[in-house]
Amino acid sequence: MKFLLLVSMTLLFSCSSLKTQETLGDINLDVKEVKLDNGLTALIVPDHKLPIFSLYLFYKVGGKNEVPGITGASHFLEHMMFKGAKKFGKNSIDFIIEGSGGSTNAYTTTDQTVYYENLPTTQLEQMLEIEADRMENLLLDENDFEKERAVVLEERKMRYENSPRGQLYLGLMSHLFEGTPYGRSVIGDIPDLKSMTRKQIYDYFKKFYAPNNVVIVIAGDVNPREASNYVRKYFGDIKASPTVEEAHSALKDEDFVPKFKKDKIVKLKGESPSPIFMMGYPTYKAGHKKGYPLDILAGIIGSGKSSSLVNDYILTKKPVATSIYAAHQSLEKSGFFFLGGELVQGVSLDHFRTDLKNKLKSYCETEITERNIQKVKNNYQADLYASLDTNAGIARFLGDRQLLFNDWQFYKEELAEYEKVTVEDVKKSCAELVETPSVFISVWNKHK
Amino acid sequence: MKIKLALALVVATSSVLAEDNFLSTVKRMKINDYEVVWLEDKKFPSFTASVYFNDGALKDSVEGLTQVTFDQLSSGTSKENEKEIAEFFDFYGASINHSVTHEYSVFTIRGLTKDIKPVVSKVCELFNDAQYPQFELSSYVARKKSNLRNLVTSHSNLADRIFRNISLEGTNFSSNVDGTLASLDKIQSTDLKSRLAQIGKAKKTIYLAGPKDVRKVAEVISKKCKWSQETELMTTQVSKPKEQTALYLVPVPGANQAQIRIGRYLNREEASGKEDQFQFLSGFLGGGFTSKLIQELRVKRGLTYSAGAYISMQRDYGRAGVVTFSKNETTAEVVGLIRNILSEMELPQRIDENEFKHQQGHQIGGHAFDFEKTNALLARIISYDHQGKALSQMLDFPEKVAKMTPQILSRSSKEVFPWEKMTIVVVGDKSLVDSLSKIRPVKIIDYKDFL
Repeated sequence: MKFLLLVSMTLLFSCSSLKTQETLGDINLDVKEVKLDNGLTALIVPDHKLPIFSLYLFYKVGGKNEVPGITGASHFLEHMMFKGAKKFGKNSIDFIIEGSGGSTNAYTTTDQTVYYENLPTTQLEQMLEIEADRMENLLLDENDFEKERAVVLEERKMRYENSPRGQLYLGLMSHLFEGTPYGRSVIGDIPDLKSMTRKQIYDYFKKFYAPNNVVIVIAGDVNPREASNYVRKYFGDIKASPTVEEAHSALKDEDFVPKFKKDKIVKLKGESPSPIFMMGYPTYKAGHKKGYPLDILAGIIGSGKSSSLVNDYILTKKPVATSIYAAHQSLEKSGFFFLGGELVQGVSLDHFRTDLKNKLKSYCETEITERNIQKVKNNYQADLYASLDTNAGIARFLGDRQLLFNDWQFYKEELAEYEKVTVEDVKKSCAELVETPSVFISVWNKHK
Repeated sequence: MKIKLALALVVATSSVLAEDNFLSTVKRMKINDYEVVWLEDKKFPSFTASVYFNDGALKDSVEGLTQVTFDQLSSGTSKENEKEIAEFFDFYGASINHSVTHEYSVFTIRGLTKDIKPVVSKVCELFNDAQYPQFELSSYVARKKSNLRNLVTSHSNLADRIFRNISLEGTNFSSNVDGTLASLDKIQSTDLKSRLAQIGKAKKTIYLAGPKDVRKVAEVISKKCKWSQETELMTTQVSKPKEQTALYLVPVPGANQAQIRIGRYLNREEASGKEDQFQFLSGFLGGGFTSKLIQELRVKRGLTYSAGAYISMQRDYGRAGVVTFSKNETTAEVVGLIRNILSEMELPQRIDENEFKHQQGHQIGGHAFDFEKTNALLARIISYDHQGKALSQMLDFPEKVAKMTPQILSRSSKEVFPWEKMTIVVVGDKSLVDSLSKIRPVKIIDYKDFL
């Protein structure tokens, strides 16, 4: 969601107080939009600087679409998508992509599963054929399924069980969104990962992997007409999923609203000699008007060396923390504002928690200034340029927005909202935030 | 079929990345007393400026001194304190950072081109007038030491640090660039001021990326930064790698996986003229999902989530290694498999022709991506210049790969990864000692000795 903010902030620069005015017009994205009868959307962005392109497929399926018993299905399926399909058979996909000089990977979040390839220009047609083949005819070979189960379990250990930070994040989400689909672990609970069957994954695949549940973005050295012809040729005959719309509409926004009414304090034992912590507050879904001032608030108090939290907890004679930050994360159905960091050994965790909450309250009055708001915008502009340096960056930029809002140009609407944000708006959002029940979670080897 | 593809790709790549095309975007010039290298990039009104100093951690009288000198450069001048300096750069959306190696250091500024003058002038103020106040230094040392003590929470980073120390033991490069718990306490403000003055005298080159306005950076530097330039280059003595007879096990609490590092130090002579062969070898072994290690360890056996190999050179030394991890029960099996893979690689007849051709296609076709990210390309140009390599070598790589043979690959592997010279470090549960002893005598070491 931060990505959307970046775009909007760049536009805001046109009325900034700095010397030269910059507008998104300087970026000049030339996007061709293709819509097929089966519901597929493709965005094509030509850039002929080098003979390469990036292809991204954003499937609208992630942890939130799973149910107890099959947690981790989206991510497990992501692994299996590289194991072969009907035409491009067992374990051939990686070899075809890498053999031509390309690279490929994927990631799964609460809301989406994204596959991407970076390839030489000559490979466009074949790559689209591969993606269409695995969308329609994934093999899900039983032997590969079992081997990959072991790999996923190792990945889970690496990212979460052996990582205090992973442990912390899983804990925050499970307590903050307890009782909602966002409270489940995206990588999956161990019993589910051990018991999940091929049939369960196959049914899940058939429901969510369809042209009416994907956005394709192609950015780089491609001819838009040729690229759109390939998209039609390989994806045009794939049938839409008859059940995916129903599955999405069954997920009501209200089912994602955290239910807890009092502050929660959670202590997890983990292999961290210094306490590491996160503190989260439930907020708003992506595109909600109340989210914009919170984005700016997070930038002011917790982003950069001059931010309020760094000033108060790190750049002091006796530092309390070795790292500290704040961010606002907007998801498709909900959102959360969070702070996190690592404390210096010997600091009292309880004392720190109380102090942090008090400081956060005081920030609502002392830190929300015109200058600080401008500073956040200036940083977003620089970040935006950096993020659009590659074909892959441009593809992510467009695909995220298209998937969430069904409109890659949604930034214009966001701009209007950001332009309306005032010092008072941020102060009001801050005041509301600090009165909201929160979850404070820490991992430490001294916890029992 | 694949070799045809490989050769076709050489032609396709060369036609677009022809020297007169790529090299024309890299302009070398002299602005006042400074050598300037400008990578033209018109995409956005933003810039990157990197100042290369021919001076690095090899000159540290105390481990970490150069790194701390740069880390604390913005901790205060006679006019501004650390918070005011941070506020200045953040307000402009500019960033300053640095990279210190044993051989050289690079200070990098990023920002919007319209802000070049104030931002670069401020950087010069820091270099001219850094005071290294004791208050800020004490706070910094406390934080760094806390970070080091917490390194045990990241088994992967801990394994990297310990492996580096052990594999480079006895060479000039074994010291920790970022210091140790003991060395950080010894560093005083006066040491940092002296070191900064010394760095200011080193030979410098200014590397720029951005539209034409970016050249103003060099003008501001030449007017505002009070640097002098010594022409003498920093030189180093090169040691020979040692034979290894032990496997080092580093027990850590609560480990249900083990981090595995296998590799060694390379000296200058070993790599001279063979950089392309070694680059091909590292890709063949561990560069991507279809590489030898991933196929053998993950795809065929499900023993790990990731495995990679690297061979990286600085000017006077290099490092080669294999990086992976596995669950406790299969750690010894993975180490044994890596040994077998490396042994087989020494026999050209055991190198599968399809795998070989596949890798040629992979590295040739992927060559254009080396030129996509402006900042990464700038860093690569700095590295080439530091090593005295012509930039045209970047363009020759696909052609050289197309001429590679299984025999060359096999010979390279034998030269780089002889098992008897490999340092093996495993960070994991202490119970692994029994299974690992079957591979080599195990030497148990305490991770705290490496902090």
